[in-house]
Amino acid sequence: MVIRVSHLHKSFRVHRREAGWLEAARSLWRRDYRVIEAVKDVSFTIEKGEIVGFLGPNGAGKTTTMKMLAGLLHPTSGEITVGGFVPFEQKPEFKKMMSLVMGQKSQLIWDIPPMETFLVNKAIYDIDDRAFRQTLEELTELLDLAPLLDKPTRSLSLGQRMRCELAAALLHRPQVLFLDEPTIGLDVHTQENVRRFIVDYNREHETTILLTSHYMGDVAALCDRVMIINYGRLIYDGELSVLTEKLAPYKRLEVRFSRVPDMDWGEYGEVAEIEEGTVVLRVAREKAAGTAARLLERFDVRDINIEDPPLEEVITRAFQEERV
Amino acid sequence: MIRKYIALLRMKYIEMLAYRLATFVWMTGAITQPLITMFVWMNIHPEESDSFVFYFMAVIFVERMTSAWDVWELDREIREGTFSNLLLRPLHPIHWAIAENIVYKWLFAVILAPVWLVGAVFWPPLRPHMTAGQAVLFLAAVVLGAALRFLLSYSCGLLAFWVTKVAAVYGVIDVISLFLSGRIAPLEMLPPALREWSEWLPFRYMISFPIEIATGAVDGGELARGFAVAAGWMAVFVAGVQWLWKAGMRKNQAVGG
Repeated sequence: MVIRVSHLHKSFRVHRREAGWLEAARSLWRRDYRVIEAVKDVSFTIEKGEIVGFLGPNGAGKTTTMKMLAGLLHPTSGEITVGGFVPFEQKPEFKKMMSLVMGQKSQLIWDIPPMETFLVNKAIYDIDDRAFRQTLEELTELLDLAPLLDKPTRSLSLGQRMRCELAAALLHRPQVLFLDEPTIGLDVHTQENVRRFIVDYNREHETTILLTSHYMGDVAALCDRVMIINYGRLIYDGELSVLTEKLAPYKRLEVRFSRVPDMDWGEYGEVAEIEEGTVVLRVAREKAAGTAARLLERFDVRDINIEDPPLEEVITRAFQEERV
Repeated sequence: MIRKYIALLRMKYIEMLAYRLATFVWMTGAITQPLITMFVWMNIHPEESDSFVFYFMAVIFVERMTSAWDVWELDREIREGTFSNLLLRPLHPIHWAIAENIVYKWLFAVILAPVWLVGAVFWPPLRPHMTAGQAVLFLAAVVLGAALRFLLSYSCGLLAFWVTKVAAVYGVIDVISLFLSGRIAPLEMLPPALREWSEWLPFRYMISFPIEIATGAVDGGELARGFAVAAGWMAVFVAGVQWLWKAGMRKNQAVGG
């Protein structure tokens, strides 16, 4: 396996500050500290070539865990190995086999064109000329970088910058890639492009990818396996489809009528929505087909749709659970 | 390592050119204080005007060549979390700072040296009277001074792992150094007790010492002792940076996300 984490803990001591002038002044000579346990007893392993989605509400411990995996943070206790290295030792060989892309932080040097950052990375990561040319060519094509390379980074749009950001992170061909909110703030079209790129790249190079995102679209498109973390604890680790079945053991039946019959739908399923001409029912998975047939037989149905509940709904439910 | 430095120097050079105005202001802004101080002293001791002119012109040159701004850079990078980007790369972040220092100081030298040369042609007090040996020792002392100031500034910057807005700490040190490094007045004008102190503290070796070599105020045994003290402080600062680095890494919260 490429990544192995066992009984990982991280706690921070933070200064507690109350709001208000007086309290702020008081904190000058008296400081209250409290310990925040950001990550509690987290264990998992990830195999080579896997793409794993790491989900959780804000402040759940996703980014903290990722920073420990990338060697930026020192774990309070527990063990991590990534590609055989202990991240926190910060060995150059370790840094050369991985990359961390943070959607909200830029590794590109702000006031000069991205190409300059690429050249610095080429030297720092000891990439030889041929490999650099090849990789850059490939990335330029996949990410459509050609028009961006010589503009100052600060003048790029968010989407353009993220494409360059990915390129900068991949120039040294890392075997492990940590992506923290790589699509944050991007428009739907650009999100789509970034996703397609990640899937293709993973397929082509068997890169192991751990990804956090708030967009369920990312997770649905990219990950077969998800890990859900909440209040610092890992509450689910497994296939996305299993999670859906577990937490949402029903299908959505969207039934369209010319005119919605005024009646009690209880006999068919639980009503999720009723709007003009449309009723949305939640029906147990195994009964979905039968219910649809009955509806078609008894009513003047114009259209009927059977689908899985939206992933947002499933995940929101998961976040409310102690353990899934 | 040489390839890495060439790449970093090139990048820092391009970055510097992107900040033309700021670079120009840094250059000229730093000249004002020594110039005004010079005029004050010339007013107090008009009979020694010539030596003050040489001294403070030398202060301008040496001060620019040894100046260090790394504490502000580190303070900002660590507080805002951009330091993580340097930490993720397989090269110690201190090399980025060293490369930046080399690029800016090279620019300062390229501008200041010809200005001095032209000035010296028209204004005799600016003409140095140095033997070749003195000149070599002068340059060596400038490099040593630059290293000392850089390391002090960098170690203060590393305190940002513990304290926010750490530049304030450096501000206090800077005020002390204003007097004990010879920026306000030649050290020989200090009261004897302070003068004695200044010889053992690191500040003299950041500005005054090279100038003393250039004016011939220090030579022989005193000169050797000066280099020895400076080398001692160098060792202390190197150890300090190493220790702070190790401890800071454990403390690092890699803020922002």
